[in-house]
Amino acid sequence: MGQREIEERRQKLRDQLQAVSRKVSDLVLENHPAYAVELQRVMELQQTLQNANVICSNSRRKLNAATHQFTTSLGLLANYRKRQQLVALLKSLRTIKTLQRTDIRLREMLEEEDYPGAIQLCLECQKAASTFKHYHCIRRLSSKLQDTLVMIEESLDVALSKTCAKFDEHHYFKLQKAYKLLGKTQTAIDQLHMHFTSAIHSTAFNIVLGFVELSSSGGETSSQKRQYSDLCRNISGDLFTPCLIDLCKALWEVMKSYHCTMQWHEHQSVESETTEGEPISSSAMVETSLNRKYLQQKLQHGLTRIWGDVQQKVKIFVLSTDLSYFKYEEFIQVLDIVNRLIQVGEEFCDSQSEGLQDSLRKQSINYFRSYHRARMDELHMFLENEAWELCPVKASFSVLMLQEFKFLRQKSKKTELNNSQDKLSDVGYFDRYADGGSPFDIQTEEEETEDVMATNGVGTSASQETTSQDSDSDEDVPDELKQEFIDEKTGEDAPNKRPSSYRRRIDSKAAGKMAPIITNTTLNVCRLFGRYLQMMTVLKPIAFDVTICMSQLFDYYLFSIFTFFGSEAEAVSRSLSNKLRTTLKRIHDNLILDEDDDVHFSQPGGAGSDSGVVATMTDDSKRDKVPHPHLSSIVDLMDERTMYGLAQRIVATESLVFLAEQFEFLQPHLEANIPASKNPFLQQFYSQTVSTAQELRLPVYVSIASRSIDYDNLTQQMHQVKWDIHDIMSQHSAYVDKLVVEFEAFHQRLSQLSKKVPVPKAVNHVIWEHCIRLANHAFVNGYANAKKCTNEGRALMQLDFQQFLIKLEKLTDLRPIPYREFVDSYVKAYYFPEAQLETWIRDHKEYSGRQLSSLVTCIPQLNKKSRQRIIGMIEESEKNRR
Amino acid sequence: MSETYDYLFKFLVIGSAGTGKSCILHQFIESKFKQDSNHTIGVEFGSKVVNVGGKSVKLQIWDTAGQERFRSVTRSYYRGAAGALLVYDITSRESYNALTNWLTDARTLASPNIVIILVGNKKDLESEREVTFLEASRFAQENELMFLETSALTGENVEETFLRCARSILTKIESGELDPERMGSGIQFGDASLRRLNRQQSTSRKPDCAC
Repeated sequence: MGQREIEERRQKLRDQLQAVSRKVSDLVLENHPAYAVELQRVMELQQTLQNANVICSNSRRKLNAATHQFTTSLGLLANYRKRQQLVALLKSLRTIKTLQRTDIRLREMLEEEDYPGAIQLCLECQKAASTFKHYHCIRRLSSKLQDTLVMIEESLDVALSKTCAKFDEHHYFKLQKAYKLLGKTQTAIDQLHMHFTSAIHSTAFNIVLGFVELSSSGGETSSQKRQYSDLCRNISGDLFTPCLIDLCKALWEVMKSYHCTMQWHEHQSVESETTEGEPISSSAMVETSLNRKYLQQKLQHGLTRIWGDVQQKVKIFVLSTDLSYFKYEEFIQVLDIVNRLIQVGEEFCDSQSEGLQDSLRKQSINYFRSYHRARMDELHMFLENEAWELCPVKASFSVLMLQEFKFLRQKSKKTELNNSQDKLSDVGYFDRYADGGSPFDIQTEEEETEDVMATNGVGTSASQETTSQDSDSDEDVPDELKQEFIDEKTGEDAPNKRPSSYRRRIDSKAAGKMAPIITNTTLNVCRLFGRYLQMMTVLKPIAFDVTICMSQLFDYYLFSIFTFFGSEAEAVSRSLSNKLRTTLKRIHDNLILDEDDDVHFSQPGGAGSDSGVVATMTDDSKRDKVPHPHLSSIVDLMDERTMYGLAQRIVATESLVFLAEQFEFLQPHLEANIPASKNPFLQQFYSQTVSTAQELRLPVYVSIASRSIDYDNLTQQMHQVKWDIHDIMSQHSAYVDKLVVEFEAFHQRLSQLSKKVPVPKAVNHVIWEHCIRLANHAFVNGYANAKKCTNEGRALMQLDFQQFLIKLEKLTDLRPIPYREFVDSYVKAYYFPEAQLETWIRDHKEYSGRQLSSLVTCIPQLNKKSRQRIIGMIEESEKNRR
Repeated sequence: MSETYDYLFKFLVIGSAGTGKSCILHQFIESKFKQDSNHTIGVEFGSKVVNVGGKSVKLQIWDTAGQERFRSVTRSYYRGAAGALLVYDITSRESYNALTNWLTDARTLASPNIVIILVGNKKDLESEREVTFLEASRFAQENELMFLETSALTGENVEETFLRCARSILTKIESGELDPERMGSGIQFGDASLRRLNRQQSTSRKPDCAC
């Protein structure tokens, strides 16, 4: 490129520059005013800005000053507020701390058993806690409080259950208050009932368990899991009574607690009624009264339930042991305890206690059956070992003097005493033992003394109880007794001992006071009467069964006496009255075990009309029958020298009569004890059986009378007398003397005997009556033997008989001489004219046909025809008689 | 009430009044001391089944009154007794002196084979003793009696007395010296032995007791 080109380009650029400069200058000129205006505005803005800046910085300065002034006071305020908040926080923290501490306090209170306090506190705490809900920690606290409350309730419940075992007014008041605070009074009462029920169960269980473990020497642990009834069955017999007592005592405590609870509530409601004058809102009043009503109903209702439970427990216990082998005293003690419990039950809730009564009845019958069975066996043994020797006792002896009847003697004395005691017992068991103890404590004490009384044999009199142990002499016998017994000292080989005793005894006999004739067996039966009677009073429900058994004792005694002494009499059938015969048959059918077979018993109720009643006891069994008694081999009834065992006969028969008297004496006592509906049985027994005791004398003594004097010989001797004499005799016949000699000998032996054995007047009379009757029969037979007779002969008969009577009157004090008319009339009939004779014969059936015909035959004034007619008449009536 | 036993022995307790016969019996049966005991009236009764040498024996014990006035009643129980306890009181010479009479009574009235054991009671009252053990044992030896001193109060030797007496009877039965089937031996077969007999052989060998 060359210069030119550069130049050209420079030129061109210059031109272009010039054009642009010009253009620019034009544009500058054109826009210059606008620029000036704009500039002006900018200037103004700058000015304003400067102003604003000033204002701003002014205000800032001022603001700064203000801020400065202001913020110091605000900080103060803020601090203050902060402090306030912190203080509040501190407070709540403190409260929370206390709240947390209260937990401990609560536990303490629970330990102190201040339940209402604890609940109050707890509730307050809860309330407090709820105000601090926003604290995180509080949430846990309040849930813990809730737990505590539950725990309190639980321990409250435990405490409540404790009242079952032992009611404490103060304690219970606290509990009630606590429940009231919780608003759970109703639940509390339900809970309480549950506790009582379980208390009964566990108490009963534990006590029985304790005894079972005691007897099984703790070897088994399995008994813990056994059933109550199962446990009961494992109680051994010797532990039964102590266990029963403990059981009753424990259950008594439970019932007493319930009783106290009720009383407390009653008392409470009375109290609140009296204070109800205070203004309480009516709705609250309605509610409390409703509440109270609910409680009362509940409690009232609970009574029966609780008693039912108690009853059930005791019943199971009582029934699960067989008491039949218990000793009498022990069994009575058991009954006594249960009866007492029944009384408690009656007081507790007016219950008739059917369950317990029933168990008592069952056990009693069971016990009594085997008891009676054993007693009958014993009686059988006594009877068979009895030698029918007189057992000397005082003249005034009666069953009441026996130890076994002490309770009767005391009864009358006690009734007065009891009046005051009754008042006491009106108070009831619950009040009497309110301060502690139980009806079952006293009971054992009583029992102990009774035990001694019952076992120490016989007290013939209270004064005899001062025993002396070391001497055989009679010096140790109290004077009272001595006097009485001396009379019985006869017949013993002690010649130095009061030879006059017989005389004195005669005197005492004359005075009508004779020692009762009893035997060892009689005494034993009397004692059994006492025991049975005592059983009746205790075993009220089976009193009638006991009565029947008592009658069986008597029956058996009577039957034995008859079997031993009365059944050999050849004239048994004649000497037995119908009543006696029926009685003996009844006894034989109902009571006596037939030796060979018992087909006999397959027809029940065959005998007496009362056998139906007796059957209640003898029903199922041969079991209740006793063997046929056999007379002890010591007694010889065949020996002529002992007058065929007259002494034994007298002792035996009279002991029966004595027993009958004693039994009669007991009649009112028996009647008082058995239900009125059963009285007819008793009355029948007395009229049919007891009263026949005396009648037994006849069959027993008749054989003596018939064997002691040779009546046949008398008749034979009379046969040799000539009655067809023609002179009036001034001297009686020799046979009379012989007879009188026999009678005198008899009398002699009788009085000899009465030195050994008292012969009661009645017995004496019965024997003499029999003898005289038989002698008189012999007289009539002898007279009837006279084929021929004259008036003078008749006179001799009269003379002879008269002589006999005169002598007889010296021998016996029996007046008038019995059956005298029998002979007299027969002799004198000889003199009757025909017509009178006929009527006489018709009226006198007591003579045999032979006697009458021979009378007619020897009457001389009758012609042959009328004689035959009358004899025909006699034979006719003789036929009719058969 | 069917107790089973092999034998039944009839026992007698005799001796002067106040020697403690009833107390011994009571102690034997009830195993306790009878506190305020009265004089026995007539005869009282007790029974107990004991085990002697593997046999059960029912003792039927008649406790007689010691007082003279009951002598006629008590004598009637002597007959047919298998064993007797002749009791005296070691604190009473008088009761000891009366032994001869009692012994004569027993030997004449009871069966000749009766086993009698002499019993000196109230052993507990050592301080009041009037009869030494030696003296009484000499007496027993002379009269061929067994002898023991007892205390009805403490129960010492009481059961032993009855057992020894029963054992002696049993030995005599086994040696054939005593025949239980003889009348008035005071021994009867019981149900148990009866049954055993029946099982062994149904012979006619039955005791003639009806019980």
